Amino acid sequence: MTNRPRYVPLAPDPCARAHLLVADHHGIDGAAFAPGHALADFPERWDIVAHALVLPEPFGGPGVQHFRSSSHLLSLLRHRLAAETMGLRLYAVGSEPFVWDVARVAIDAGMGREEFHLFATGRPVRRVSCVHCRTINPGVTTTLIVCAGCGVTLGVRDHFSRMHNAWMGVQCDAEAPGELPAIEDLSA
Amino acid sequence: MATLFKPDETFRDDYRYGNSEAAILRFPFPFGEDSYMYGVNMEPHTRPGSTGAFAVAFDVDEHYVSECAERARMLALEPGRCLVLPHMQEAEWDTLELIMESLANDYPDQFILERDGLDWAWTNRPLGLHQRFRFGDATTLPHPPFEYIVRQAQGDFTLQDQRDGTLYIDGGIATTPADWSLAFDVGMTFHEWHGPVPLAHQAGVFDRALQYLMRVRYGHPARRLNWTMTVNPRLDTSPENYPLWGPDRASLNAENIGSRLFLRVELQSFFRLPRSNALLFGIRTYLASIDDLTRVPKWGRRLHRVIRDLHPEIAGYKGLTRYQDLLIAHLARYDDGSPTSPGIAPDLAALPA
Amino acid sequence: MMDNQTLTLVVAGASLVAPGLRRVHLVAADGSRLPPAAPGAHITLTLPGRIRNSYTLVSADPERGYELIVRRSDRSRGGSQHIHDQLAIGDVVAATLPHNLFALHSQAKKHLLIGGGIGVTPMIAFLARLRETSARFELHQIAGQTETETFTRLLAPRAGERIHVHAGRSTFDLTALLAAQPLGTHVYTCGPAGLMDGVEAAAAALGWPGSHVHREDFGAAGGEPFLLRLASSGIDIAVAGDQTMLEAIEAAGVDTPSLCRGGACGVCVLPVREGTPEHRDHYLSEAERSAGCLVMPCVSRSRSATLVLDL
Repeated sequence: MTNRPRYVPLAPDPCARAHLLVADHHGIDGAAFAPGHALADFPERWDIVAHALVLPEPFGGPGVQHFRSSSHLLSLLRHRLAAETMGLRLYAVGSEPFVWDVARVAIDAGMGREEFHLFATGRPVRRVSCVHCRTINPGVTTTLIVCAGCGVTLGVRDHFSRMHNAWMGVQCDAEAPGELPAIEDLSA
Repeated sequence: MATLFKPDETFRDDYRYGNSEAAILRFPFPFGEDSYMYGVNMEPHTRPGSTGAFAVAFDVDEHYVSECAERARMLALEPGRCLVLPHMQEAEWDTLELIMESLANDYPDQFILERDGLDWAWTNRPLGLHQRFRFGDATTLPHPPFEYIVRQAQGDFTLQDQRDGTLYIDGGIATTPADWSLAFDVGMTFHEWHGPVPLAHQAGVFDRALQYLMRVRYGHPARRLNWTMTVNPRLDTSPENYPLWGPDRASLNAENIGSRLFLRVELQSFFRLPRSNALLFGIRTYLASIDDLTRVPKWGRRLHRVIRDLHPEIAGYKGLTRYQDLLIAHLARYDDGSPTSPGIAPDLAALPA
Repeated sequence: MMDNQTLTLVVAGASLVAPGLRRVHLVAADGSRLPPAAPGAHITLTLPGRIRNSYTLVSADPERGYELIVRRSDRSRGGSQHIHDQLAIGDVVAATLPHNLFALHSQAKKHLLIGGGIGVTPMIAFLARLRETSARFELHQIAGQTETETFTRLLAPRAGERIHVHAGRSTFDLTALLAAQPLGTHVYTCGPAGLMDGVEAAAAALGWPGSHVHREDFGAAGGEPFLLRLASSGIDIAVAGDQTMLEAIEAAGVDTPSLCRGGACGVCVLPVREGTPEHRDHYLSEAERSAGCLVMPCVSRSRSATLVLDL
């Protein structure tokens, strides 16, 4: 058994007053939505188009708003949530690090876990925190990596911290130096 | 209190550590049956219990002075091992009050608490401390209140905030952890921080344990025993320092396993804190070598059977795999197959010569 | 009895704050410090006639003692009548240790308090803590026509505070109030069941998640008395309303295993021969509960007048 976040395909919460869906990319795959649901079920949507000329209206209401980058989106999300009232549900689609960055903004705004729904898509990529030197190793796609901070070969444990938005990396050959388990792709 | 403190023990480097015969006899041996499986083995933390270790709220034994020195050393090297989130300030004072009241009540010759309204005076004779302070005013203590008092207690502690139908580990001190990281786990829910434990989730153990813990009431603490094994009497078996202690697991052989392999038992206690309504988890760690334990015939027989028949996933999770066969071979000589009484007590008043 | 630990308190003061509302000040009978308590906590007093009633601690200080405010109710079994008509300074009362089932949420950005009638008592306790910590809050107290002045006095609004005492529910627009709350608000309600149910329903309709809605609930300890028959031992035991089945069995001198005494570990499970158990444990599966052949005596009780166990 592990401590892995479980992602459930998204559907608008029927009990909610309002919905806001944010994504870190364009063209969201249908698999992100529960059977019978699609992007069109979320009237207000934010996504990222990586273009500096884009000017979003974060308080603009129904329709699609484009943001220049994920930090641009998250910064305006903070302001939006600070002005919101109870009854909102927030949905996030994108890479795992992105959706948990969105979760952090929601939690800081006082939202409980039932008020935001996350769906991680795309090729599995993890932020790994080296427990020995505290360095965050981003963009990890395998079960073993060499820590960029202390040079040790880390095994990526199936133990995820929502607070740090990172997986735990622990030296995997401490007991028998050089004896490494087989390296596997995370998507395996 | 008749305890003679051993002030010069170390839990790293030269490992100057040993249990007196009295310490061995009061050791909280965790196996009441000849086999082990995870369960919700919680019981009220009442006196007297089946071992001296259960007779008080927070046990102070012969290793107290040395363990406090080890904690001070650890915090000097890694201050982040003590970490409390800002919203748990009330729980910090609750913890200070609970531990001071309990120690003064259970060991009146060693600890004294005098209170005049909010003006308190605390005396800790074993450590030679005397502190006057104002309860609720952190500027009157040399450390934040939680850190101040846990520096004077044996074992790790965590603070749980009870909300949203679960417990969140929102603070604690972990200088004697059995391979878990407070810095990494802080902010996790009960199920999340127990994520890595095999088998127990499917059996619903954590669901039931959580329900029980959320109903722990002020004045009615609970306790349970947990166990693993450690090579050398090392208290800091943190993931952070695994590169330092991990290699020891490969250093055991038939000659040294009796003296170098230790059964590590955690007496976990659960207290409801009154002002914050939070839960304090005490994780009191006891170490006894295989040689220590096999001096008690019942424990030698039982330990052999438990380790021999241990579920491989549990053995793997507890880090025993590398030396399990060596250990079973060593313990076999202490097991003559005779029936062994249920329960954890040694069934002896004195150790055989 | 369910709580082996009791406080022996003595009445140090008692006064009417308004017709039908009596404030009682309790201190330790031996002059010792009392346990502290978080706002929202209550104690359960044992009153004459084996009546056990729970009262919110309006204030709790280890040295100054505890304060309760009790409303005289003609419909009760006599507990409040005793407190109003008989309880006098110097009287000794047994009480449980404080217990809290209605605590402020540590992550709330704003606390919205909605009280009705005697439900003002936890609100007074909350107010003290919220003011101390400079937390963002708003309080609405529904009062009967003759009580508005009393409650305003009890709540003592300070300049700039959002504290409103409403004479009756007709001027209180619950839906508008809840709809205007910023993200991160938690609502706490205590008072008549109708008010609390109304707050829950209105919040749900506006999309509030359940974890942000809190209501005072003293908890279901104890229940109806029933007859327990131990078939193998040939003993009949009358289980009292304020005693668990396990306690009754032990009091009758019968040995039966137990461990956690909280319904979680499974050690005390006993087979049922006849009768319908009322399950309150966290151990048996849904299937086991409906089959009704097993029961955990440490927390569960009986739906039927008689329960027969294989013990």
